[in-house]
Amino acid sequence: MQRRDFLAMSGGLGASWLLAACGSRGPRGAERVLRYAMRKNEVVERALFRHTSMDSPASKWQLAGSALPSYFVAPTVPVWDTAMRGAWTLEVSGLVRRPLRLTMAQLQSLPAITQRVNHYCVEGWTAVESWTGCRLSELARAAQVLPEAHYVDFQSFDVDPSVGTGYHESWDIESAMHPQTLIAYGLDGHELAPAHGAPARLYSPVKLGYKNTKYLTRIVFMPQRNGGYWSDQGYEWYGGT
Amino acid sequence: MTDGTTTHPPATAEHVSAEHATAVVRRHHWFVRLTHWINVVALGVMIGSGLQIFNAYPRFNRRGASFCCYPFAGHAVPHWATFGAWLAGARNWHFAMMWLFVVNGLAYVAFIWLHGEWRDLVPRHGDARDAWEMTKFYLFVRRRHPHQGKHNALQKFTYTAIPILAVLAVITGLAIWKPVTLGWLTTALGGFALARFWHFLVMVALVVLSLVHVFMVISVDPYSLRSIVTGKYNPNRAPELRDARPFYHLFTRARRSPDATT
Repeated sequence: MQRRDFLAMSGGLGASWLLAACGSRGPRGAERVLRYAMRKNEVVERALFRHTSMDSPASKWQLAGSALPSYFVAPTVPVWDTAMRGAWTLEVSGLVRRPLRLTMAQLQSLPAITQRVNHYCVEGWTAVESWTGCRLSELARAAQVLPEAHYVDFQSFDVDPSVGTGYHESWDIESAMHPQTLIAYGLDGHELAPAHGAPARLYSPVKLGYKNTKYLTRIVFMPQRNGGYWSDQGYEWYGGT
Repeated sequence: MTDGTTTHPPATAEHVSAEHATAVVRRHHWFVRLTHWINVVALGVMIGSGLQIFNAYPRFNRRGASFCCYPFAGHAVPHWATFGAWLAGARNWHFAMMWLFVVNGLAYVAFIWLHGEWRDLVPRHGDARDAWEMTKFYLFVRRRHPHQGKHNALQKFTYTAIPILAVLAVITGLAIWKPVTLGWLTTALGGFALARFWHFLVMVALVVLSLVHVFMVISVDPYSLRSIVTGKYNPNRAPELRDARPFYHLFTRARRSPDATT
């Protein structure tokens, strides 16, 4: 083959490969490699993770307030229907010595903090908000979590009808026990609104938004991870910041 | 020197035979060629998947705030420029390919450092002036091609800028990958939103330099394509001998020897 032919051919092949690649998912066989990389990235991320690494937005950044988007997987804003389901309670169960079922009043009687932190959305936006609630580590202490609990599942009454099950995301215990991980019931000095996960939601800047379950109903301490609504669809399970 | 025979400066190891047709030198080490082509794939996937991720929020303002410096807010990048098909797909590619991009880049830099190739690439005293002379030559202000070594001064600046930009891409990328765990880095870059903007600008600079590189290869020295594939190069085709500008003197035979003075 002449050099010129070779160059023309490789140029043509290269161009068609590039065209085929545009907007594509990439080769099928790569998915195993991508999953492998995701697992290895998680090892790196967990090794770097520290309870002393705190999120602290600059003091001059304004609160997003009403510019904070509201997301849920149900077709309409999920609202806890007291008439049908009775008073809302938060269940803390699984690998705990003292399973709890807390009413809102009981949850609010636990030591509360208010923190001004960033919200990191997987889409690439951030929003500064002020959250009020109880540290999850406080709740874990009250429930006397067993040392075998390495993961925590956060379950919700937000239901995607096409999937049939409620929204949930499971976390590694280290991220769950981070001092900025809250069970939040207040936003910007107000009671949490249904659009943002009322009556109570998980909120922590150490995880991307999709890991922070809203419309919380159950917190289950587990020996193993339990996937999650978005992580089961291809988003990374760890989702740490 | 007469047309047809060339001798080469003794400073280079390149051997030139008297025959044009067989006057071929080894130009790029196989390791440089390998890392170059791995980088084409790695950087291509990083840019394509990065643009797909960008399209999930094609603006730079924090929610509830404005952003000073991006006039194209809200305009998504065209589908053909993206890779990964959807946000999670693109993220998975981005966070996997970053390792190949970094390891391959480090291997390349270590090689050219240890093997001495950096001497042909890093600008030295006089290259700023030579870059200006090259610019004048390309703009037809200057008639003859300035004398050069393996690369001209503009190439040296470009080939040195690219690894520096790659390092900046990695630093700004780490800042938006781990904005809490590596919060000190994100804060040093002005916070997440700004760090994301720096990451985007570094990508734009890499795209511009890559496009200029490809354009100049095709329009000025297409003969060098052979050298980045097989390693071999015919110095009688060198742009300096052809007084080659983009699409100008592309097929002209060598007129003067590489060591002729301008």
